[in-house]
Amino acid sequence: MEGNLSAIHDRKPVIGHGKYVDIPVVKDAKTLVVRSGEKMSRIVVLDGPSMPFDRIIVEENASAELCLVVRPGVSADLPVTVDMVGEGSSVYLSGIYICGGDERVSLRTDIIHRAAHCSSDQLFNGIVSGRAGVEFFGKIIVAPEAQKIEAYQVNHNIMLSDDARIDAKPQLEIYADDVKCSHGATIGRLDESSQFYMRSRGIPLDEARVLQMISFISPVLSRVRNPLERESLAARLEADIRSLL
Amino acid sequence: MDKDILLQINDLHASAGDREILKGINLTIRRGEIHAVMGPNGAGKSTLSSVLTGKPDYVVTSGSVVYDGKDLLAMKPEERSWAGLFMSFQYPVEIPGVTITSFMKTAINARRKANGEEPIKAADFLKLMRDKMAFVKMKSEFAKREVNVGFSGGEKKRNEIFQMAMLDPSLSILDETDSGLDVDALKIVADGVNSLRTPEKSAIIITHYQKLLEYIVPDFVHVLKDGRIVKTAGKELVGQIEASGFDNF
Repeated sequence: MEGNLSAIHDRKPVIGHGKYVDIPVVKDAKTLVVRSGEKMSRIVVLDGPSMPFDRIIVEENASAELCLVVRPGVSADLPVTVDMVGEGSSVYLSGIYICGGDERVSLRTDIIHRAAHCSSDQLFNGIVSGRAGVEFFGKIIVAPEAQKIEAYQVNHNIMLSDDARIDAKPQLEIYADDVKCSHGATIGRLDESSQFYMRSRGIPLDEARVLQMISFISPVLSRVRNPLERESLAARLEADIRSLL
Repeated sequence: MDKDILLQINDLHASAGDREILKGINLTIRRGEIHAVMGPNGAGKSTLSSVLTGKPDYVVTSGSVVYDGKDLLAMKPEERSWAGLFMSFQYPVEIPGVTITSFMKTAINARRKANGEEPIKAADFLKLMRDKMAFVKMKSEFAKREVNVGFSGGEKKRNEIFQMAMLDPSLSILDETDSGLDVDALKIVADGVNSLRTPEKSAIIITHYQKLLEYIVPDFVHVLKDGRIVKTAGKELVGQIEASGFDNF
């Protein structure tokens, strides 16, 4: 991935300090519950301004895999809260956003670790062109009881134009002392050395840019386990990428 | 112009930033010839190959390069490739998520499109891939691997020679292709270059070791030092450099 990115900056996380304030578990019409021992796997391709659900509760030994896809033409406000209430649960939350024009996309993920021996892993890669504006606010909260958990978050962004705006803000609030957490956010442009490599093989500049962007979103796509779903999503996203050029 | 001349470099000056690196290169390459360019670190060897292939980081301040009757410096990197120029990179780039198959198909079809041809037929492409993979002794899984991702140093260089064989260039530039290779990998690279040797095809081999030149015997050897070619001779120059280094030039 680093081959594609020349990072402009890395944001420092906001580390929680002070006292842990208990957050109530909310269950409403837009809540999905993954019951004990169950496995949920969903791909949500946004075609409207909001999510079909915005909260996932993950019980004991359950696992939730969610891949969010925001395609060009969509402006959306997307808060997603994942409440890990049971021990031994795991969450893979990933996403791809491809934005152009004057679109505004706000992605806010809150992962709340309430129980011990859980893991969460987030990967969001986005491409922003035109005058589009994207904010990615990713928060991980680790409650005092949630010992021996692992929580990771990565967010990579590519800016295709000077007028695009990206605000990446990772936040960690950790109140337990025996945990492994990390985060990373980068904002960069398409790397010229890999562009030159491709062009030297006869691939024209625009096609090289398409390959670079396919390459950039591939770590997220490869998390989609079902090969048919993965291929069909890859084909749609390739068309979306071409529409940005 | 002499029809046998494939590449003619005249008084080429090039800079990176404020620093002039090439300070007047003259070089003529005829069809079928292999030229070795040797020289110490910092002499400008890699700059020369970068300028010939059109890397954007360098600015040509004066001089000319005529390739197959055309003004090479006016061409984009991809146009140079379509015209039959190829460089084996010293540091090949990794492209995660793009398989060798899809990379090569994109490259070959881009050239075909530029030449007004239809995309290559699937069966023809597969056969070409199989033949050229066998040629660099790559196993069939190689086609499905992502370009250079997780490749060893030797595999990366073999991948460069594989791409060279696929694209069948008229002028190949091997930029330090031997660096970091063990003897077995070196032989694969050398066999690759030697078997592409025809009366029409030419190569420039850039190196600062003599080892590769034991396997690929050059017609001419040039010593590049401080941005200029300071000595040109036949293959016997390699032994002389080996014995006494570059200081005497």
